[in-house]
Amino acid sequence: MGNEQARELPATTVAQGGSVGGARPPGTVRRPLRARADAFWNVLTSRPVSLYATSVLRIGYGSLYLVFLLREFPHRHEIWGPGSPWTPTLAAQLFDQTGWYSVLILSDSRAYFELCYALAVMTSALFMLGWRTRAMSVLFAVVVTSFHARAIFMTDGGDNLILLMALYLVLTACGRRWSLDARRERIKTTRAGGVPVRARSLVARELRAARRTVVTVVHNCGVFVIAAQVCFLYGSAGLYKVQGSFWGDGTALHYVLNLELFQPWPTLSHAMDQYPIVIAAVGYLTVLTQVAFPFVLFGRLKYPVLVMLLSMHAGIAVLLGLPLFSGAMLIADAVFLPDRFYAFLPHLLRRGTRRGGVRTPRQGTGLGCVPVQGGHPDGPEEYRPVSRPASGRGGQAPSGPTGTR
Amino acid sequence: MRKREQSGSGPLSGEGHDDADPPATMAIGPRVLRTGLHSAVGLCLVVALVHVAVVFLAVAPSNSFSRRYGQQINAWVYPLFEQNWRLFAPNPDSFNRQILARTARTAPDGSMRVSPWLDLTAVDRAAVKHHVFPSHTAQNLLRRAWSSYVDTHGADDTARSERAAMMQTYLSNVAVDRVTGHDKGRRFDFIQLRVVTRPVAAPGARVVNRPPTPVENRLLPWWKVTVHGK
Repeated sequence: MGNEQARELPATTVAQGGSVGGARPPGTVRRPLRARADAFWNVLTSRPVSLYATSVLRIGYGSLYLVFLLREFPHRHEIWGPGSPWTPTLAAQLFDQTGWYSVLILSDSRAYFELCYALAVMTSALFMLGWRTRAMSVLFAVVVTSFHARAIFMTDGGDNLILLMALYLVLTACGRRWSLDARRERIKTTRAGGVPVRARSLVARELRAARRTVVTVVHNCGVFVIAAQVCFLYGSAGLYKVQGSFWGDGTALHYVLNLELFQPWPTLSHAMDQYPIVIAAVGYLTVLTQVAFPFVLFGRLKYPVLVMLLSMHAGIAVLLGLPLFSGAMLIADAVFLPDRFYAFLPHLLRRGTRRGGVRTPRQGTGLGCVPVQGGHPDGPEEYRPVSRPASGRGGQAPSGPTGTR
Repeated sequence: MRKREQSGSGPLSGEGHDDADPPATMAIGPRVLRTGLHSAVGLCLVVALVHVAVVFLAVAPSNSFSRRYGQQINAWVYPLFEQNWRLFAPNPDSFNRQILARTARTAPDGSMRVSPWLDLTAVDRAAVKHHVFPSHTAQNLLRRAWSSYVDTHGADDTARSERAAMMQTYLSNVAVDRVTGHDKGRRFDFIQLRVVTRPVAAPGARVVNRPPTPVENRLLPWWKVTVHGK
């Protein structure tokens, strides 16, 4: 998300501000503050930002939770089932004290639990695929909340982050790209042959426009909250570590590598432990990266930092046996990559496959296909100028370079 | 200003200027709609900003603001927006815990039969070893059951709060399940836990093959086993 869009903003504002200004009596002088407020309003209401990034989050967390549920299949009764050591009675008692809730304690029957588990698997899969995304996102949030609350004493930071993201993703329009919904819209548009005009009353159109604006604003606020949350996560994780003596003297990773429950490959851990200089350097780098994270997001420096975080989490996943935790963190980082990065990815892949001698069609209707840049696959009427909320402020659909790049 | 710009730009009135009079029947609808829209947008913004501010205060160290509004902050953040980013911070654990369990049952002649110790942590370690994706049941279940028990009990094994009693039941259930899972035929009436805490040697210390001397060897009281769940 973020700066890429922010940077392209002035162009949009100028374009739109220009047309609005043209309609205004020449004597009116805009105060800079007002202009700024208008520009802000424009960013907020005209266009959902980071549609690709939120879709990546949807795919990421949907698939991560699916993998998690399936991985724990043999242990599902022990973790969430009625026979868990954290008994339904204990869970209900805790919910009374804390105000938590979980649909899993509605019944102690084993069949009910199996049904919930199956529904959770299905919900995660459909959410990942982006089928009826908004409804699925709500269900997914309910599933994650319920399963998290039921096994609250078995969770770690990774589960915590998945829970937060499942809740925040409800706010976003995370099904507009790389989803079954997007595919359906594209097919519908193709069938309609580009003449999707339907006669509607003025009020109906106004209502639709208003609804769209609200959806956009809620989405943008959601993306902002997600971004802020990730910044707080890294910032606080880094600043907490700064207070620790082991991180200060560079020996923290030595202790981490010697925790027996986080040693899936003891030989590897012990081998790493033989290089105190490396241990110290990586430890310092970890803290620096985490503390720096919120501050580098607004410049080019974020790319190397993201790459460093990627390798750090890859290391955690393998060395400490925490792939769920690392996966959750990595997917969260994806929110900071701009849409043009994601839009460019398929081109890159296509070029790669073409070079490899595999011929792929230029345009497909498959899931992995990216919509034509410059157009919006969000439904034909979505960006018709006719139904924009206001003449000076609506999303300029074919605004070409500023709209999509 | 915003409103003025919008008024009259009823979508079909083209590049509607302020002088383009909307039809009389439409006059109220759009205005109400616009007001509603503006309030909705404002509300979204305010909620987003407040949420971010509260989350910040929740992760920030205790300060005068969070002390004064601690209750409100907790009410907002818990349970859904809990912030828990202290993995390996401020310091990673510098010890390994080994949790062992043994059981006892009354024999027909009235005497007590006590089983040998079963190393529950070793079972977890074996489940983690050489596994790409270790289960939460191996990495978190026993570990967090014990840490929650210690959090609520301290060094004393008497449950002094409702939560402490709950954690004791939980820990006991975990141990019972583990022992039963390990030896299906075993019947027992009591269970006892022993927790051995061994420090991780400081870096550079000579590596010895035998495990380091425990810093703590905590023997818990015998607990009567209650059947749960199943």
